[in-house]
Amino acid sequence: MSSIFGGLDAEAYDRSYSDTQLIRRSAAYFRPHARTVAIVALAVALTSLGATAIPIIISRGIDMLTGNTGLQILLALAGLVTVLGAVGWTFNFVRLRLSARAVGDVVLKLREDAFRATMRHDLSFYDQYASGRIVSRVTSDTQDFATVITLTIDLLSQLVLIGVISVVMLTTNWRLALITLAVGPVVVLVAMIFRGLARRAMQRAQRAQAMLNAIIHETISGIAVAKNFRQEASVYADFRETNHLAYKVQVKRANVFGTIHPVMHAVSGIASGVVIYSGGLLVLDHTVSVGDWYLFVQSLAIFLQPVVLVASFWGQFQQGLAASERVFALIDAEPAVAQIANEQVGPLRGRITFDHVMFRYGRLDDEQPTASGAQAEEVLIADAISNSGLDALPTTPTPIEGGLPRPTGLANGVSDTISATTGVQLNEASALATREQEAGWVLADFSLDIRAGETVAIVGHTGAGKSSLIKLIMRFYEFQGGRLLIDDQDIRRLNLEQYRRQLGLVPQAPFLFSGTVADNIRYGRAEANDFEVEAAARQLGDGSWIEALPAGLQTDVGERGSRLSFGQRQLVALARVLLQDPAILLLDEATASIDPFTEAQVQAGLAAVMRGRTSVVVAHRLSTVRTADRIIVLRNGKIIEEGNHEGLLEQGGHYAELYTTYFRHQTLTYRPWEDADEAGEPIQVSGLATPA
Amino acid sequence: MSRREFTVADEYNYDRRSPARWIASHVLRYPILPVIFLITVLAMAGTQSLAAVLVGRGFDTAVSGAGPGDLAIAALLVAGAYLVYSASDIANTISSRVLAQRVERDARDEVYLSLLGKSQTFHGRQRVGDLMARVTNDVQQTGQMVSPATGYIIESVVSLIVPLIAISTLSFDLLLVPTIFLVCVAFALRKYNRELRPVAGALRRRFGIMNTSLAEAVSGIEVVKGFAQEKAEEGRFSRDAGAYRDAFVREGEVEARSFPLLVYGIAVGLALGHALFLYLDNRLSVGQVITFMALMGNLRFPTMFSLQMFSIAQQSIASARRILALITAETELDENAGGVSQAIEGDIIFNNVSFGYDAISSEPDHDSMGAALAATSMVVKNISFHARPGETVAIVGQTGAGKTTLTRLVNRTFDAAEGEVLIDGVDVRDWSLDSLRSQIATIEQDIVLFSRTIAENIAFGAQGEVTQEQIEEAARLAKAHDFILAFPDGYDTVVGERGVTLSGGQRQRIAIARAFLSNPRILILDDSTSAIDSNTEDQIQRAMRRILKGRTTLLITHRLVQISRADRILVLKNGELIAQGTHDELMATSALYRRIFVPDTEIHGVRPVHEALPQAGQ
Repeated sequence: MSSIFGGLDAEAYDRSYSDTQLIRRSAAYFRPHARTVAIVALAVALTSLGATAIPIIISRGIDMLTGNTGLQILLALAGLVTVLGAVGWTFNFVRLRLSARAVGDVVLKLREDAFRATMRHDLSFYDQYASGRIVSRVTSDTQDFATVITLTIDLLSQLVLIGVISVVMLTTNWRLALITLAVGPVVVLVAMIFRGLARRAMQRAQRAQAMLNAIIHETISGIAVAKNFRQEASVYADFRETNHLAYKVQVKRANVFGTIHPVMHAVSGIASGVVIYSGGLLVLDHTVSVGDWYLFVQSLAIFLQPVVLVASFWGQFQQGLAASERVFALIDAEPAVAQIANEQVGPLRGRITFDHVMFRYGRLDDEQPTASGAQAEEVLIADAISNSGLDALPTTPTPIEGGLPRPTGLANGVSDTISATTGVQLNEASALATREQEAGWVLADFSLDIRAGETVAIVGHTGAGKSSLIKLIMRFYEFQGGRLLIDDQDIRRLNLEQYRRQLGLVPQAPFLFSGTVADNIRYGRAEANDFEVEAAARQLGDGSWIEALPAGLQTDVGERGSRLSFGQRQLVALARVLLQDPAILLLDEATASIDPFTEAQVQAGLAAVMRGRTSVVVAHRLSTVRTADRIIVLRNGKIIEEGNHEGLLEQGGHYAELYTTYFRHQTLTYRPWEDADEAGEPIQVSGLATPA
Repeated sequence: MSRREFTVADEYNYDRRSPARWIASHVLRYPILPVIFLITVLAMAGTQSLAAVLVGRGFDTAVSGAGPGDLAIAALLVAGAYLVYSASDIANTISSRVLAQRVERDARDEVYLSLLGKSQTFHGRQRVGDLMARVTNDVQQTGQMVSPATGYIIESVVSLIVPLIAISTLSFDLLLVPTIFLVCVAFALRKYNRELRPVAGALRRRFGIMNTSLAEAVSGIEVVKGFAQEKAEEGRFSRDAGAYRDAFVREGEVEARSFPLLVYGIAVGLALGHALFLYLDNRLSVGQVITFMALMGNLRFPTMFSLQMFSIAQQSIASARRILALITAETELDENAGGVSQAIEGDIIFNNVSFGYDAISSEPDHDSMGAALAATSMVVKNISFHARPGETVAIVGQTGAGKTTLTRLVNRTFDAAEGEVLIDGVDVRDWSLDSLRSQIATIEQDIVLFSRTIAENIAFGAQGEVTQEQIEEAARLAKAHDFILAFPDGYDTVVGERGVTLSGGQRQRIAIARAFLSNPRILILDDSTSAIDSNTEDQIQRAMRRILKGRTTLLITHRLVQISRADRILVLKNGELIAQGTHDELMATSALYRRIFVPDTEIHGVRPVHEALPQAGQ
């Protein structure tokens, strides 16, 4: 369970902001609502003035009692108090109404900014941070921020009240006023002591909560497995433990926050005693009137109000501050993929040039950049300067601290692993390649020129770097050295949106959004009509897969496509790309999960689509590769062979060997297992009880 | 009590008849805490009113010209009352907060447990984001029902009543204004409450929708970026967040319009007038006027607080309702704990089995508990076959033909709508679910690994404790041992969201190792990946062959060798069984089956597999 305690730590991109920074940052969000804020402030001030006037009027009334005043004047006073009450309520109404609007708008803006920031991040960010935690920053943390703002407005209104009362008291009798006001520093001191305690308790509590959410998320997603193995009990035990941990942390927090308020009250109680005593002495001396004495005693309660407010909601207040810190950290985290220019991208011809590219996933800080890496940085800096700083973009990719290199997105079931592990599996890896793998390079000094309109197939063992090529072309990850040119333009200078719109990617694990099949096919081209959607779908095979769907193209795919089979999801992903009509087609094992019935027909459809446009195809099925113009054989991030199918077969090298072994899988004589595995009694792990 | 697939022994029974009863039953599980809370609330209100009376006495003492000694006593009494108040406050706050945390913890436990008890049909229908919102946010909101909401509301009520009693000790006449005030406030609060209810519900719903759509965009980031749809996603999110903002503003407006504070403001003026009038009539002393006005001041806080708390309470009730809807949603399957429980031989018979997703009964009610399924037809139609113990039955057919659905009827992920599925001659519905599932292992196409160590993930398959040796033996049999040892932490390597990512082939072998430990008699192998690479492929196929040896296996695979070697092959088309037999029989009789093995060269101009092989072979 160490991982759970580990999870109490913040994310690597978290940073701490000073209170001034936080306030300045938050204030910036209110600037567009300056008028509303001004009216709210005015309403707050007027409400407070009304509220202050009431005890003052009452104190005058009490003074009049000791004199000899007529009934009319006293009743007039009472009437004045009544009117002030009603007027105060009206101002308060204006304040609540307008502040709800302003806060609603500010939180909306903050959420939009946070969401935009998450969308701006490249895939290395998503590899590293759990999606549940990213989500909670955008929704829950911004919510907590809203609470702080509302509380702050309340607090301000009461501080205005304190100010006005203090002035009245000081002009009445400065000595008694100073005695009364002395409670202020004491209260602030107590608050300061609690502040540190509270902040720590709060952070722990919040992280425990985040951990709990993560574990709930994971088990809800994995509920099918738990059920199949009847492991509900073990999943439940895990949950229960985390739930209990979170409870203990929360109770600790509650204990800290629960004592603030009463301690404040005790302080004010003692102060009341002092003011009653010293004020009473002054009344006996006739230096202070009974009404003034009353006002002083009353003012203690008014002083206490903001403190009580802060103390009662201190938790939420702290929570909100910490939350806003997290939201800003998310917004401020720099994406590793940084464009150095924003050049318009016209229709692409489709030439792709890898020029001495160095690439690895994740961490950069613990190793010196290689010569070519340093060169790349220089190029980047030069570019940034020549761009006369239109945008202040960082010249080096942000180092990501800690954590294991995470090569693939969470959604990727089948992945090209770059860990040294896979290197071990590849028995024939050369010494050089091994060294480069140890340095973590997925692609080292990699060069490849793909002509416009060419179909290039990438083959090789797992971990050879096939998918990485596609991800770099997609600009999903930053590379560390060399250049990648698209139609002879540096990929780092392109407007990414315009560029990516011309790429058609079918990833290994097709992701569908909730909605219908048609919605998903239309994902890349929202304006496409039903006829176009259907035409794209029918391009795959004879379209009979559509009939197999319960409601055809209008079938609801369920969350993440869960109501469709893997093969169906892949067909939808293919249709999505066909409708998009991209200039460059990138297929990352796009047909791996399609059943053998459909596969042959899909191949025919794809061949037609690939004709005339640049296509990069990663495939484990060599049958899909044979028609490519050129085949690139990769091993450990290096091209070891290239050519067309016939030529490579004749060479009798690595490709021929791959070809043979792949076909072996697809023949009926293939039999990798031993006789002992063929038939007979079940093979069992020794000492296991047979379930009953 | 609804039917469930999973229960634990020491489960506490909560009252689920209504959201309020439910929360109350959670609170009453720890009766001592609410008792402490109530006692201390009374103590607080009492000392507060006492302080007001003591302050008034102090004034009278001073006005009547007493000495500093009397004044000091009065001052000490006031300070003492406050200290007692503070001490009660500490006990009060801690008891209510601890109670709230316990309620939160227990409610989370309860809803989580109920989720584990739901059938997969149920889960298949839910959005993870929505479930998450209920288990996390709604549960937290429920805790807030206890503290601060109910706590403050009780405190408010007590602090409304106790000052009234104190006022009555000054003069009965003085009760006039506060009593009218109370009646008016009660009406104002009721009205407010009614207006707030729908608004609070809308606010929660909007939050859930926003959360779900956000979670989806984050999970599908590769596609979002691949299609350069960031702007469209931003637009979609802005729309959802904007709808939430509108609900938030509406709630703010209802809160602003609340009348109780207006009533209070007017009441203070009237009270002052009344007190002054009585004073002039010589029926009150100066000190008593002051005490009265201080007690009126004590009435302000409760009025103000209860307004905020009602809004929280409203949201909590809405949350509790959503949680209850989830907990009480009917699930189709039950544990059937008293059912047949014995060792399975592995004989499977399907008798005219049909199943469609729309055949699932009792759509759970309201609060968007699952959208209606779009499916209108049977996914599996009138299927009959017989698998004898130890046989391998391969199921082939086009994507969407119903292969996976068919296998899910065996372990009762779903129940057949028509016909029957018999295991060892007993209808699966008559088996104890526990006994049935523990003897059937499923290797799904989408292999889920938990954020635990590899060893724990493998041991997941086992019933009861297993040793490290057994885990390693299973891994060896599954051809997973070598790649596991290659990780720096070996079997202790953490995988999943917080650890290393495994490749598809590696996951598959972990799943097979898992199945070895569960040692089933029936195996469902749903494997939709195709050949990965030759090294890995040899190992995967060998592992597959080993796990299915001697076990009745329903096999879905793209690996043609495995299909051809099956004892029986079922050919499905649009949910119907159109042919069955051995490979040789089907090659002779089924045109559809032949299509897999002899690709049509004329369609795509590729040579058939068996022609290409010989020249490349040596």
